[in-house]
Amino acid sequence: MRPDRRKFIRQTLRAALGGASAFSALGQLQLLQAATRANYSFGDYKALVCVFLYGGNDGFNTIVPISGAARTAYDTTRPTGTGQIGINSGLHSLSAPASGPGSPGDGSAYGLHPNMPELATLFNDGHAAIVANVGTLIGPTTQAQYIAGTKPLPPQLYSHADQAAYWQASPPTNQPITGWGGRIADLIASANTGSAPTLTGLNGQDAFARGLDVNGYIMNDGSTTTLDFLLYNPEVAPIFDILRAAGTQAHPMERTYANTMNHSIATADVVRTARDAHDFSSFFPGANADLAAQLQTVAQLIWAANNNVSGYTGLRRQVFFVTTGGYDTHSNQLATQGTGGNPGLLGMLSKSLSGFYNALASVGLASAATVFTASDFGRTLTPNNGGSDHGWGSHQFVVGGAVQGQKFYGNGCGFGGPSANFGLVMPSLVNPTTNWGVPSPNLNDPGEGYGRFIPTTAVEQYAATLAQWFGLGSSDIALIFPNLGNFSNASNFLGFLG
Amino acid sequence: MVNWIPFEVNIGGILMKLQQSAMPRGRAAGRLVALWITAFCVTAASAQPSLSHAPDLLFHDGMQGVTAGPFNDSDASRFLTQATFGPTDAEIAHLRAVGFEGWLNEQFAATPTYELDYLNWISSPPLNEQVGLDNRQEAWMLGALGGPDPQDIALIHIDQLRQRVAFALSEILVVSQQSAGLNDWPKGLAYYYDILIQNALGNYRTLLGEVTLSPAMGVYLNMMGNRRANLSQNQHPDENYAREINQLFSIGLVMLKPDGTPQMSGGNTIPTYSQSTITNFAHVLTGWNWASCDADGHDNFTTCFRPYQTPDDFLTPMVPYETPPPLSPNAPNYHDDGSSVATGDISNKQLLQYDGAVNSGMLADGGSAAGDLAFALDNIYNHPNVGPFLARQLIQRLVTSNPSPAYVQRVAAVFDANRASGTQLQAVVRAILLDTEARYGQWHSPDTFGKMREPLLAVTHYWRAMHAQHHCGKDIAASQNSAAINYADQPYRYGGFLATRTGDTRSGVAQASLDAPTVFNFFGPSYMPPGEMTTRGLAGPEFQLQTDSVIVNSNNTVAGRTFYLKYDPLTACDPASIFGEVMVDFSPDLALAGSGTGGPPDALVDAYNRRFMSGQMSPFMRQALIDYLSTIDSSNWGTYWPTKRVKLALFAILSSPEYMTQK
Repeated sequence: MRPDRRKFIRQTLRAALGGASAFSALGQLQLLQAATRANYSFGDYKALVCVFLYGGNDGFNTIVPISGAARTAYDTTRPTGTGQIGINSGLHSLSAPASGPGSPGDGSAYGLHPNMPELATLFNDGHAAIVANVGTLIGPTTQAQYIAGTKPLPPQLYSHADQAAYWQASPPTNQPITGWGGRIADLIASANTGSAPTLTGLNGQDAFARGLDVNGYIMNDGSTTTLDFLLYNPEVAPIFDILRAAGTQAHPMERTYANTMNHSIATADVVRTARDAHDFSSFFPGANADLAAQLQTVAQLIWAANNNVSGYTGLRRQVFFVTTGGYDTHSNQLATQGTGGNPGLLGMLSKSLSGFYNALASVGLASAATVFTASDFGRTLTPNNGGSDHGWGSHQFVVGGAVQGQKFYGNGCGFGGPSANFGLVMPSLVNPTTNWGVPSPNLNDPGEGYGRFIPTTAVEQYAATLAQWFGLGSSDIALIFPNLGNFSNASNFLGFLG
Repeated sequence: MVNWIPFEVNIGGILMKLQQSAMPRGRAAGRLVALWITAFCVTAASAQPSLSHAPDLLFHDGMQGVTAGPFNDSDASRFLTQATFGPTDAEIAHLRAVGFEGWLNEQFAATPTYELDYLNWISSPPLNEQVGLDNRQEAWMLGALGGPDPQDIALIHIDQLRQRVAFALSEILVVSQQSAGLNDWPKGLAYYYDILIQNALGNYRTLLGEVTLSPAMGVYLNMMGNRRANLSQNQHPDENYAREINQLFSIGLVMLKPDGTPQMSGGNTIPTYSQSTITNFAHVLTGWNWASCDADGHDNFTTCFRPYQTPDDFLTPMVPYETPPPLSPNAPNYHDDGSSVATGDISNKQLLQYDGAVNSGMLADGGSAAGDLAFALDNIYNHPNVGPFLARQLIQRLVTSNPSPAYVQRVAAVFDANRASGTQLQAVVRAILLDTEARYGQWHSPDTFGKMREPLLAVTHYWRAMHAQHHCGKDIAASQNSAAINYADQPYRYGGFLATRTGDTRSGVAQASLDAPTVFNFFGPSYMPPGEMTTRGLAGPEFQLQTDSVIVNSNNTVAGRTFYLKYDPLTACDPASIFGEVMVDFSPDLALAGSGTGGPPDALVDAYNRRFMSGQMSPFMRQALIDYLSTIDSSNWGTYWPTKRVKLALFAILSSPEYMTQK
């Protein structure tokens, strides 16, 4: 009897959680058999687009308090001046509710970085939302538990590679076999017919876009590449084809190389044709930045999937993985994030996200896609000279027609209810510690210094909310996010998607 | 000790390798121990059964001792694949003449090739060129390809091993022109790479020290200008270098056993350090800045940013700023010596703790910046993780992606035994290359031994093996708006090969030296490509670079370099080409392609098998190539058929999965 896909995913994740090698316990035979596909079918089309910001984006200068206690705290911790990283003007007001559901919860008003007017407009129009203080967690963790060491923590906090891996793969393993984008694709792949890729990475290979069964199509810089020498030298095709015939090679690395080449060749033409079937470049002016180019490609592929482009039909659910880097602002932070006429990282992020939304909205596909940002971690609220260091919790954006926008979301009151100095959605910025090892009165602060923040929303909860919108059932969601069970069910679905 | 003598027998076209013990030591004579034979029936005219896709198991020796080799061209070619930028016919012959030990000793003694020598030559009179990133890649290519020096063609660069190890080190101790604005300072990058070259066969502690104080690294990972905490301004030292020097350059994230496998405690790995350790290191690594910051006598530490720098600043190690310069008598000590906790210093900084750590890893207060740095680097270097951590990665860069723990342990032991030696890395590299696993792993573990070739090394291999030279290009005198250009008739200036840059995936192999996307290099040491290799837990780091786009792009590049970019004296250079291009000369191979109007192409296939695939081309591939090339002859390609056979053979081999897997 063939093992079913769900069982296999469960075993793989359990093995990873338990620290045992997934390869030894399960046996190669099971893994080599194709699992029975899970049974999903959809009448509509939806796309999930992950925008991963490598390096650890500084959420504190992205979403900045304008008034209230949070602003006072920000001024204290991040003054302006030479070698400082504080921002005190040019912020674009966010018109979220002042209190109650959807408000930042701390009585303060917030705005976006001066170079993000487009994203602020999108937020105020109700098409973008902010998920506050989200990060890697194994279970709800308070400051006291962190200091006492009584709760398990994600491995290697503050290490880029490990935290990026955890964000993308979850559960806690430094060598992820699959990412949750891939696991989602594994489960819903049966909803698609045809040979167009369910899972596409736009800029290199990483864990998010790896499924057990589904082989993500990986591009670089948002462009496909096809074998052009065959056009000019068709006589080489016979020998080329013989040597790359799938499964004929004697060495696993030879087989893997051949498989990659074959997969690429088969998919490149299909994807290129689909991408070129429509032109959204007017929504991405001056799109020399890789992020804009990638999102333009995604938008065009989504158009193709919804407009019967030859070779790219039969798609109901797609997952896209877009990446960009440079967010590790240890120094020169203000200039890097963007100042004056130089859009910088945040300017490009704002333009690219809004360009993507507007492009799809122009053809009636605004609700077809939800874009969400992610990053290794946030940064220290306390600066070093001109920059900031690796932090933990940070804020992320979700953008799309299905987003219940103009609101702040998150489990800021922790997991047991509000308490003093513990922000109700946005984390409290008051009194972060500067000396290492000194417990902070700010309960968001792990007490080890420099204004790092314990997340109050877990990556799994963020992801589960997205997966639910995407159409996965709750038991499948629990399957692919095994740590979700460590949090109360009531806090797991954040409500930012209708 | 049994004295084994290899011999070969050719039976009906099938080469059989036999083992037989020799008489002289009194052992039983004529004992046939091992007979390896490919899957063939030895009959004259019957149909052939299917051919093996695995290389012939050319077992011929192992008992005489590894170091007595190489015993045939295949052995030599395999070794050179691991120890150089690619085997050539000449180098194979030379290695056979002098043997492994002789070759290694020659390499240890060979004069190093430095990038700054090249860059200084082109930027000085009479050339007077402006140095750019491309020029630095030319300098790198000179070291990688070897051969005559363009300044003096009588000087032949042969330091392949040193250059190969430096390249491996550059993928561990990563600096990249992709960030921190380093792309503006090619000489600074060259200065950094020359540190790796100079110390590639030296001592790792020395190397760490020079890397740490190099301006390129200081800029790349933010130690440049890092200063002690200032609580009144809510500032604290940058942790970037403190973290990466531990995580990536020395000890890694988890405690290791001597064989490189992780130590476990209750089913979990054991971290090597905590966040507080990193913070403490960050406070130690304070007070260093450009050597010329206070050249005007004032304290310019906090404003000593890039606009003040000239290119020479990147060629001078960082210096500490602890005492006030003459015109700023009140300037502070920018180094955290633990004396001012009230302003944010850390007193008695606790660094790495392990058995035998000096002062249990605690740095006492009151030290100088240089003294504290030395303490910190020693503290890192003496950690027991360093040997296995580095051994495993160096093995992965040179030999195989999945070394056995025993292999790692043997090499780590050599690292540890030579900790104080100025030739430590010589011993380590020798241990890596002459280990039985390196020399015979392809027989002991034919299903797992090996690694995927890095795309850049496939290019250097091709160019070395095919006598690549620079052709075409122009000389343009300097003008008011531009520096001079001197590329005409410069066979040993490897200019114009723009297609190897990472950003240019549309026309290249997505890899160049000092051009990785991040400090984590082009690929991680534990990366497993999806599918079968993940199932079996096999690392394949280089696969992380071979995405769907890159792999196709690499093949387009290979096609370009075999089909189009060849040196043809009958073809005029493109008048628009300013920098020319690197081209190969395959005319010597034309005679191997066949005879008369076509004929068997076996000699060509076998020559390329030795030159490119170390004799490990599978019988299946060999026959497929022979069958295919036999269809190319004068009847369909006229007098062009030998050239066509050569080009097709090159392309088919260089793009094949068998070639791309180094085993």
